[in-house]
Amino acid sequence: MNTDSGNVVKSGGISMHSAETSPLSGGSRMDDKQRRRRYFLYRWKDYGVGYLFMLPWMIGFAVLVAFPVGWSLFNSFNKVRITPEGFKFEWVGIDNYRRAFVEDNIYSIQLITYFQEMLLMIPLILIFSFFVSLLLNQKFPGRTLVRAVFFLPVIFATGQVLTELFVQGAGKLPFIEQYNLEGLVRENVGPRIAEPMLAVLSKAVIILWYSGVQILIFIAGFQTIPRTIYEAVRIDGASPWESFWKITLPAMVPFIGLNAVFTIVDLFTFPFNPVMDHVRANMFKPATGYGYASALAWIYFAIIIALLAIVLWITYRAAKGRREMR
Amino acid sequence: MKGDGLAARANEAISRLKQDSGHVLGSRKAQQVRKMLVGQHVNDGWIAKIVILLLLAVIGFLYLQPVFYMISTMLKTVSDLIDPVVQWIPRTVNWQNLSDAWRGLRYPEAFANTLTIALVCSVAQVCSCAVTGYALARLKFPGRNLAFFLIIVTFLIPPQITMIPLYAIYGKLGWLNTPLVFFIPAIFAQGLRGALFIIIFRQFFLTQPKALEEAAKIDGASSFRLFFRIMLPLARSACLVVFLFSFIWYWNMYYEPSMFLGKDFLPLSLRLNLMQEELMGNTAINFNAGFGKDPISEGPKMAAAFLIIMPPLIVYMITQRWFTEGIERTGLVE
Repeated sequence: MNTDSGNVVKSGGISMHSAETSPLSGGSRMDDKQRRRRYFLYRWKDYGVGYLFMLPWMIGFAVLVAFPVGWSLFNSFNKVRITPEGFKFEWVGIDNYRRAFVEDNIYSIQLITYFQEMLLMIPLILIFSFFVSLLLNQKFPGRTLVRAVFFLPVIFATGQVLTELFVQGAGKLPFIEQYNLEGLVRENVGPRIAEPMLAVLSKAVIILWYSGVQILIFIAGFQTIPRTIYEAVRIDGASPWESFWKITLPAMVPFIGLNAVFTIVDLFTFPFNPVMDHVRANMFKPATGYGYASALAWIYFAIIIALLAIVLWITYRAAKGRREMR
Repeated sequence: MKGDGLAARANEAISRLKQDSGHVLGSRKAQQVRKMLVGQHVNDGWIAKIVILLLLAVIGFLYLQPVFYMISTMLKTVSDLIDPVVQWIPRTVNWQNLSDAWRGLRYPEAFANTLTIALVCSVAQVCSCAVTGYALARLKFPGRNLAFFLIIVTFLIPPQITMIPLYAIYGKLGWLNTPLVFFIPAIFAQGLRGALFIIIFRQFFLTQPKALEEAAKIDGASSFRLFFRIMLPLARSACLVVFLFSFIWYWNMYYEPSMFLGKDFLPLSLRLNLMQEELMGNTAINFNAGFGKDPISEGPKMAAAFLIIMPPLIVYMITQRWFTEGIERTGLVE
């Protein structure tokens, strides 16, 4: 994203070089060497400050992220047993991964189901937050109050409270029961799609609660489109409808991508995520243990990364076309 | 010349059009009314405003419906809950649920625990993430881009992957069941969603003018002085946003405490699970465990949920303006 540091190093190299060969720099070779050393010292003093500022993060990353991640990867290729003396590892290669797909009939089903749900949830959240932020971006009295309301769920989207609400059926949209939408869905689409759809519908409101930050990002995104463009197309005779499709939406593509990424990451920790429950349950089962649970977590991680890559690629392509036009 | 003629003709046409429409509407006054209702462009008249407000009100109601459900259920007696006639407003307001929940959660103690975790961790996150974000945005050192890349990757690693090794590390260090398991990562910029906060700070510091830094350097300020005296005070709004967000997220955190904390030090979110046992001992309330709608435990549970979200709700009410404006201004979005 930022190539600043690379440039600086390069320019430093060039100036060093010129100091070495320039006849004006004069002096003996000894002098040159000294100068070079002093220059390096100076540079490193500069870098040192940077590393000093980064130190807390570097320690934290090494101990709390890099090491655990490495260990977990190692775990996933082992059968891990806990004995009174500590962990006992037994190398099994990719057996854990193979087992996850071949033997574990719960995991793959859960994975597919949750993935289907996610594919429904992501557009739902994106469209909802886009629509609401579009409305909130208009001028009307009481705007700040309404904004506060739509951002409110971020405050209490706690796993426990959400689960309670969901268990009691409060997460349903009221009109789903009124119009018997469940029956309608079941009749019109096959059971393969109906199940995840109903699962999403039964907690629709709670899913919408996950759009607080997205709404804010979209509103902030609208601010980046200059007012003057709208005035210009208005003079050219464009209706608000046209200016939305031709200007607002294309300009928002990067923000839609950003929000898609944020949504996917957010759904990692979604309290109704059966995959994570399964991973956690397997951690403490004596028959499977840490190694197997780690393998499950890594498979899930790989799938999510793939999903993120696809989203980023689509956004990049969509935004690239626009950039070239400019 | 030709242009002039065209412009004149266009003007004429416009004025004629205006006159015509004036005739159709009867008078100037009607025209004014029309302008007020429909607006010059469809989206700035009163009609549009009312439609938008109505839409938002309906969506907002659907959106907040679970909260209303929670509050109404919390105030109902068991007979009100069973009675299908009673929908939103309970016949008699029943405060018993709230006091049960207060006892069941051991509210004062659990509240103090949660507050300790949330406050200490958010302060630590603000400090460590600001320092890291500043280094990424303003200081030059080899490997800076790599560090930024790694930070983004950290954001994507699901907690379940690192949980087991972390559990082992914390166990070795004897930190399990103490709040240290949250303090230490926060101090080293690896706290809850720390990566996101680092990105916020980085984005903010990137937008600051370079001249500021140069001026301070010429005046002889060291990098540390520059950071603490000039940059950090400028980043007040970013600090506030990071503090508020991490406070709320630490308050609501459930997964990590359920892994690392045992019986001695419990935050509110875990107390909710234990509430049943807690109450069973000393009251006649008989909970049927967990699932399905169960009119007897429903009231106290909703009351407990309300008690848990109330403190952050109050914080939000006070700081609401900074929350919504902050994100827009910190340059999270570039």
